[in-house]
Amino acid sequence: MVKLSEHLRRTGVFSMEEVNRVMPPPEVLKKGPVAVVECIQEIPCDPCHASCPFGAIKEFKDINDLPEIDWEKCTGCTLCVAKCPGLAIFVVDASCDGDDALLKLPYEFYPVPEKGEEVELLNRAGEVVGKGEVRSVIEPHKDGTKVVTVHVPKDMIADVRHVRVVR
Amino acid sequence: MEKFTDDDVIVCRCEDVTLGQIREVIRRGYTDPEEIKRITRAGMGPCQGKTCRDIIIREVARITGKRIDEIPVPTYRPPSKPIKVGLLAEESD
Amino acid sequence: MRKTEVLVVGGGPAGLSAAIAAASMGAKVLLVDDGLKLGGQLVKQTHKFFGSHRQSAGVRGIKIAGMLLSDIEKLKDKIEVVSNTTATGYYQDDGVVTAMTGEDVYMKIKSERVIIATGASERMLTFPNNDLPGVYGAGAVQTLMNVYGIVPGDRVLMVGAGNIGLIVSYQLMQANVEVATVVEAMPYIGGYLVHASKIRRLGVPIYTSHTILEVYGKDAVEAAAIVKLDSKWQPIPSTKRILNVDTVCLSVGLSPLIELLWQAGCKMKYVPQLGGNVVLRDKYMRTSRRDIFVAGDVAGIEEATSAMLEGKLAGLIAASDLGYAYDGWEADREDTLSSLEELRRGPLSEKIRSGLKEVVVEW
Repeated sequence: MVKLSEHLRRTGVFSMEEVNRVMPPPEVLKKGPVAVVECIQEIPCDPCHASCPFGAIKEFKDINDLPEIDWEKCTGCTLCVAKCPGLAIFVVDASCDGDDALLKLPYEFYPVPEKGEEVELLNRAGEVVGKGEVRSVIEPHKDGTKVVTVHVPKDMIADVRHVRVVR
Repeated sequence: MEKFTDDDVIVCRCEDVTLGQIREVIRRGYTDPEEIKRITRAGMGPCQGKTCRDIIIREVARITGKRIDEIPVPTYRPPSKPIKVGLLAEESD
Repeated sequence: MRKTEVLVVGGGPAGLSAAIAAASMGAKVLLVDDGLKLGGQLVKQTHKFFGSHRQSAGVRGIKIAGMLLSDIEKLKDKIEVVSNTTATGYYQDDGVVTAMTGEDVYMKIKSERVIIATGASERMLTFPNNDLPGVYGAGAVQTLMNVYGIVPGDRVLMVGAGNIGLIVSYQLMQANVEVATVVEAMPYIGGYLVHASKIRRLGVPIYTSHTILEVYGKDAVEAAAIVKLDSKWQPIPSTKRILNVDTVCLSVGLSPLIELLWQAGCKMKYVPQLGGNVVLRDKYMRTSRRDIFVAGDVAGIEEATSAMLEGKLAGLIAASDLGYAYDGWEADREDTLSSLEELRRGPLSEKIRSGLKEVVVEW
């Protein structure tokens, strides 16, 4: 059984160790957009594997296994982001030079942010940690779950996990 | 949990029976939920005990010190929902 | 007196799957459901389901209801649906089920096999003023919002951090209702942590080892008090806090709706891991009464995917009892059984597994 921190089990927020466990290493981040799979509790669930057209999320031996991602194969397409029932997959793109990175996150609220709009950036505990410009909003499976791409500072790609529209 | 609940708390909404009334009959020696049902009418209203049944069984267990599986479950008598007497008469043939 | 081959009581995920399976085998099915529309709790489940992609995981519950209903429609020469109808009793002496449509039509049904898929009801907590308007079951609020489009209030205290409490909190936030706090009496969050993380990043705090103490208000909920519990489940008075909320949602567990099974004299056992009194049954969902089957939450509180698989098993076996079959149905049966086992194999299903050990028997 995979060990989960007391902090996560009591509050629903990842510990630092758990954040490090799921984040891709710097050499992977440098190459281009990749999925960060924040699914670390063994629950019976496997649609992420079936949703990946590149075979980057390996086939499950047992449905209760944790998803295993092959970052070599992952293109950061976000099909799994919009499919995951736990909304636990994100795509980070920290491959550009400079401070700017892109974060793609699942979004199921109204109002839907618009391209170019400045939104609040929220961390795993729901605290506002900054502002970012929305680059695009798509709905990959046309099933109500949108994927918002937002500009975030590179040093915040492991922290920001939600955006809030402020109008 | 029960420790900080009040005797005025409604247990059976259909028949307006309080936790205090349930405790009182248990103290008087009625520890079978079937008896409690007949004396207090808890569980005899339109919902037929869907809310209060569990609460009463837990209360009996707590006061008597028995395990919940040792407490007899009151009969689930049909109909499970109020029926007009006329409907029964029509169907009797 | 209505006569049918397989009577299915309950049109939720378990009952619909049972009716589809029995009719696919060739049996004549009567499906009785108390809702105005079929689908049971699926129709309010706007979230995507977990489970296997082979059983529509990643699809929203309401969509799954639509898929099941289209299967029912395809089998309409075999399945008769009677909605807005509550099964009101089972009479052992002649094996008759009584049912009432609305409040004005009463009927007796005689059937060769009966599949009971009545589901569960929400548990209540005892605390002062728990009968004030504004105190709801979380499932009831989910129905109000997602089926009828009515929000319960402006600011909610959610009691219970199991999957229902976490999911309904998320859906309240989607409906623009503020969730002040989620409290959970257990020291750890009971639901899937991904559901917890989803509401945490919206800014909703979750307090474990906390419970509701009482509710205040004259004509409706105006505030609620929460308190921290010590390791012996006793409230620590100095930790009492008042929250300004107008709604309290209770998601503190479900009780199987076993009335009909009780009246039928099916053997029962108190198994807290499965939600209370449940029937003994074999792995194919047959109860101690050869002609009666169970499926879904009434057989033990679990979730919709397992309910659908159990319903399928019950439907297949009930129809096969009557001599019906289709090519490859036995392989289907075994496949369904192994999907169920796989679903329950993980660490979070330990409670279910230990409960099932006590009720799954061989007849």
